[in-house]
Amino acid sequence: MRKPKVLMLGWEFPPVINGGLGVACHDLCLAMVKHAKVTMIIPKSNPDFVVKDLNLIGLNTIDSRTLKQVNYKDEYKTFEDVHFIPSELNPYYTERKNAFTIPGVDIHSQYMKEVRIGRKQAKVFHIDDLYGGDVIEKVTVFGELASLLAQTLDFDIIHAHDWMTMLAGMEIKKITGKPLVVHVHSLEVDRGGVNSQGWVYQMEKRGMQEADLLMPVSNFTGNIINEYYGIDYRKIFPVHNGIREVKPFRTKSPYNEKVVLFVGRLTRQKGPEYFVDIAAKVLEKNPNVRFIMAGTGDMQNRILEKVAQKQIGHRFHLAGFLGLDKVRYLLSIADAYCMPSVSEPFGLSAVEAVQFDIPVVISKQSGVSEVLSGALKFDFWDINQAAEYILSLLDNSTLHRQVVDDAAKDLKNISWDIAANRVMEGYKKHGLIS
Amino acid sequence: MPSVCFYFQVHQPFRIKHYSVFDIGKDHFYEDSEKNKWIMDKVSEKCYLPANHKMLELIKRHKGKFRISYSLSGTVIEQMELYRPDVLQSFVDLAKTGCVEFLSETYYHSLSFLYNKDEFVRQVQEHDQRIEHYFKQKPKVFRNTELIYNNELAAFIEKMGYKGILCEGVDRLLNGKHPNQLLKPVGTKSIKALLKNYRLSDDIAFRFSDKNWSEWPLHADTYASWIHKVAGTGDVINLFMDYETFGEHQWESTGIFDFMDHLPREILKHPDFSFKTPSEVIDAYNARGVYDAHDFVSWADSERDLSAWLGNNMQQEALTKIYSISNRVIDAANKDLTDIWGKLQTSDHFYYMSTKFWSDGDVHKYFSPYNSPYDAYIFYMNVFADFEATLQPSGKTTARKKSAPKTTGAKTKTTRTKNKQAE
Repeated sequence: MRKPKVLMLGWEFPPVINGGLGVACHDLCLAMVKHAKVTMIIPKSNPDFVVKDLNLIGLNTIDSRTLKQVNYKDEYKTFEDVHFIPSELNPYYTERKNAFTIPGVDIHSQYMKEVRIGRKQAKVFHIDDLYGGDVIEKVTVFGELASLLAQTLDFDIIHAHDWMTMLAGMEIKKITGKPLVVHVHSLEVDRGGVNSQGWVYQMEKRGMQEADLLMPVSNFTGNIINEYYGIDYRKIFPVHNGIREVKPFRTKSPYNEKVVLFVGRLTRQKGPEYFVDIAAKVLEKNPNVRFIMAGTGDMQNRILEKVAQKQIGHRFHLAGFLGLDKVRYLLSIADAYCMPSVSEPFGLSAVEAVQFDIPVVISKQSGVSEVLSGALKFDFWDINQAAEYILSLLDNSTLHRQVVDDAAKDLKNISWDIAANRVMEGYKKHGLIS
Repeated sequence: MPSVCFYFQVHQPFRIKHYSVFDIGKDHFYEDSEKNKWIMDKVSEKCYLPANHKMLELIKRHKGKFRISYSLSGTVIEQMELYRPDVLQSFVDLAKTGCVEFLSETYYHSLSFLYNKDEFVRQVQEHDQRIEHYFKQKPKVFRNTELIYNNELAAFIEKMGYKGILCEGVDRLLNGKHPNQLLKPVGTKSIKALLKNYRLSDDIAFRFSDKNWSEWPLHADTYASWIHKVAGTGDVINLFMDYETFGEHQWESTGIFDFMDHLPREILKHPDFSFKTPSEVIDAYNARGVYDAHDFVSWADSERDLSAWLGNNMQQEALTKIYSISNRVIDAANKDLTDIWGKLQTSDHFYYMSTKFWSDGDVHKYFSPYNSPYDAYIFYMNVFADFEATLQPSGKTTARKKSAPKTTGAKTKTTRTKNKQAE
């Protein structure tokens, strides 16, 4: 049987990552290449970062005037020169329309830059960071370049990840007629709340409307897609994330107190304020607990003021943004993990805690609660419930053991191979491949 | 016969390093010795040494007619011992002239009077011993941290045996009176209050180099003429300011040292005027009314209240927490622990946590060693968590005694050697 050819469109990808999206895309691709020939187009790649069997193309390596790849590795083929094709790509950005309508002329954008690669002079897509600056322009230019590039590639399915690549996905579908799959890792409604509107929300809505198949990372997110974007359930095929295996370890804690951990951005979506409330409740009953919060975000100052107002600053510590080593160290000394997310499409960090044999207390408003039976679950607003769970876990070793053992069994069903199989199953079920 | 009374505040805190949650339980040394030494060196070169040199020269030139006073916090004296013995020696030289008075304050430049009176007394006594040791005089006049003051403090200080106390001349409490006279604090018998003339003080301390100020550039003769206007209406013009005004807040290039060089001569040109130290002022004049400060006042910010240290939840929590362990520290009866506890009480730590980001916020920012008040709070509370863990709930030193924090001096030396090796 011929392997299907999948053209993936990604935004975050190692080594350039901001959060879980880059890791998820990478690990999913790695598992997918066993079933399909995968090409991944991303805004920015590092020529030294090669993934086996994956055709990875960073637009920062593509000369936009000739659409030639300018820093070839042996495994890549040379593209033929391709001239510009006018398109109606940009429905949102009328003032830039000129740049799109003149055939044969390169793209004018603050994010296009003349660079020298080796001895060659090239004009490439160049962005310093993925989300800063004019992200709408970045997304638009990415869409235009990717759709030009796509015409030089051979593929059966377009598989786009999140709103940043949806414009590219729609355009490629329009030009090539290939089916569009949209993988949904996170939504504006998760990040901004259920009343979200605006450009990103509209882009998501339109992208999901035009897609042939949606793959949210959980039923929870599938429900949001149906409820807040009005998409028919028949188009929705949830694929739970996997997790990379790690070797867990324990470190002797330097504290006399038990440690309860929170890892995540300090934004509304992650419910960091609830963590403070929960901590205060726990400390009322058991003062011998230390709460550590790893991560940073726009709510940090509010959290600190709240900590001070509740007078628990001596037991509640903000560690700031931490690298992987430090996070793993914290996991190695933690006694419980708490994820009070308000709206969490999946929640890989809770699975990482499980990998370290830490009992997790997680909100029901998360995708991960669908795959972890060994977890104590609460509605994110129910801080009393969460505090009770944490107190019980710290006091009661039988409960502690049971939750950890059950979660260990759940881990067997969480893997990227399972996720990749599920993606292929979805393609088939929806007639995208035979 | 009016007089001019100069008092200069000399203080440096032991700043806390960027102490993260990962340091808790592992690292019991909290000071940012590198930064403390760097600042001490910088301020010594720009201010303490040249300013002391100037003051000594003026005292000699005017043959005892130029007289001044200082208050040195215990923490700045310790840092001089550690990093700049030459600066300490220059203060000793000033003391030897007999024209310089040293005032009493809390050793740790703390807010202890607000939270723990026993600790307050301990710190004042420790401070006075240190002053007597170096400067061979027993302080008779008290000034509290940042001129924080109220009636209760004045009465308390009187009971401790002091004859005078310094405070801010707050407009709303003066009720139209001027600050250029001694006043009797409400609820006291004989102690006299010296009130800061903040307009004339701030002309030097804040406005001197301000090019937008209508009086810029200010010359000594002009300033002396403002002082002389008090003749016939007041007894004493109290010019209280941070010593760092000379060379640090107002750089040498502003002409501040030249200004000071001419000022005594210009003031003494008026035959009725003299310079006096606070004790001499108290002996020379009677109190001409009462000063009623029911609530606390201070010399900080435009509010002249406690909001620079107690304005937000972070500051209130940090302060409440550090004093909540009073009994445990005292029960431990460990000199090193008591000293570290004292250093954690220094008011600067709480000042750095201030979020008053309007006009005065700039001043807070200028003095802070941290990126934000939130950082200041995070590091402080992490340090507190570690320190608290070295104390037992009931008292008595813990099993961790061996790794208990060491005294500043000894530990600083090892840290400094380590830093050298790292380089």
